[in-house]
Amino acid sequence: MLCEKCGKYAATTHIKTSINGKITEQNLCGYCAAKGGYTGFGSNSISNLLASMFGQSLQMSSGEEQVRCGCCGSSFEDIAKTGKVGCSMCYDEFGNKLIPYLKRIHGSVRHVGKTPGRKDLVVTNSNDPINELKAQLANLVAMENYEQAAVVRDEIKRLEGEK
Amino acid sequence: MACWYKETDKLNEIVISSRVRLARNLDNMPFPSRMTDEMFTELKSKVKSALEKISEQGVASLKFIEMDDIPENEIHSMVERHVISPDFARNSSNRAIAISDDESISLMIGEEDHIRIQVILPGSNLSEAYKIADDIDTALGEILPLAFNENLGYLTECPTNIGTGLRASVMLHLPVCESKGDIASISEAAAKIGLTVRGMYGEGSKAVACLYQISNQITLGISEKNAIDNLLVIASQIVDREKQNRNSIERIDLEDKVMRAYGTLKYAKLISTEEFMKLISLIKLGVSEGIIENKSIQPIRLLIEAQPHMIMRKYSVSNLKERDEARARMASEIL
Repeated sequence: MLCEKCGKYAATTHIKTSINGKITEQNLCGYCAAKGGYTGFGSNSISNLLASMFGQSLQMSSGEEQVRCGCCGSSFEDIAKTGKVGCSMCYDEFGNKLIPYLKRIHGSVRHVGKTPGRKDLVVTNSNDPINELKAQLANLVAMENYEQAAVVRDEIKRLEGEK
Repeated sequence: MACWYKETDKLNEIVISSRVRLARNLDNMPFPSRMTDEMFTELKSKVKSALEKISEQGVASLKFIEMDDIPENEIHSMVERHVISPDFARNSSNRAIAISDDESISLMIGEEDHIRIQVILPGSNLSEAYKIADDIDTALGEILPLAFNENLGYLTECPTNIGTGLRASVMLHLPVCESKGDIASISEAAAKIGLTVRGMYGEGSKAVACLYQISNQITLGISEKNAIDNLLVIASQIVDREKQNRNSIERIDLEDKVMRAYGTLKYAKLISTEEFMKLISLIKLGVSEGIIENKSIQPIRLLIEAQPHMIMRKYSVSNLKERDEARARMASEIL
């Protein structure tokens, strides 16, 4: 079913309102639902939730000139409306806009797992305290906790000095 | 390896199956929702030739099948057997799958990401399942240019999978936790450490036959090993809770419930999927607790084989009533 408001995207949010006993029902896409202020309650679909999250920021940034990914042609608006990223290059193109969402979803913006085609790194990555600390540092900086970040930075320097 | 639901020596376990899924994408190609038909054809051919190479290397021997060559009913029954996702079944045109003989390994090509590597094993076997998926991923990563960023890890179409791209899950049979109303508190506790509790068929699905999937949600900032370890710790706590709950029930009450279910399954002439799921859950409980001693009964296998499309496939029946009749006959013969 398509969104009853914009008619462009799949309706992912069912809204039932009861005012003075009069019941109305609406089926909206994540973007239109966010625009209508229907966010932050029991969402059952992740992409819906994402589209709602993106939708909120879209309201604030509308009016800005639209930048498109050089590889797939997606704009940030496209990503926001669908909750789906266009291609791997989009993460470079829209990195600064996507990072806050990744932080909200994962509580982190630093990968600490496997690296492609290099099995040896799986073990080092997950067990190396320096790598874990670097991940912590990136998160602290992202959260603007500079005081704690300085402590972690010094600890990394100390450990690297020992090597 | 064995097909996950055809368990023989794991009848007593609360952990039914262990599953691992890795989301991977190729660099320099838009993600599936922005792909054209030509791009899907190119993707399939690249993955196919990479799979041929890893088969020569002895990593994994998978059969490559075009989804367009698979009859619709068979596609639905693959969802019921957990070989493919419901989303992939809905958008299967010009897609492909690579699958092992026992169906424990399946690669969906062109699902939400270019490649989804899935390994599903019977019982509590998460680390082994991860190892198999990891080996295939490593071998593919040496041949194909995977979309990867040093800071963000493996790049995926949905930002919820970015980083490791790993979704690990265990399926648990929790009849007594469910009847005691413990599921809500289990879900709450799991959510606190980034795990989620869902029904048997994943996202948005209801729990049938008291089967629950516990899986990790966080994929960025946590290593594969830690994600799996967290999951195993919580799963073992839930298993303990279920065991304690089972011990707190009076034996005769348990036996009565199980044997009533047995009687209905054995002698009923028409059984709907919904009723079957409720009854087979009790049979599973009965086998686990030694109330039903016939070791040749495999409740989870029956549960999967009683799904609508599996019944249609096996008995060549189509309408609802014929299916309910075939299901009742199957149950009666086996019990």
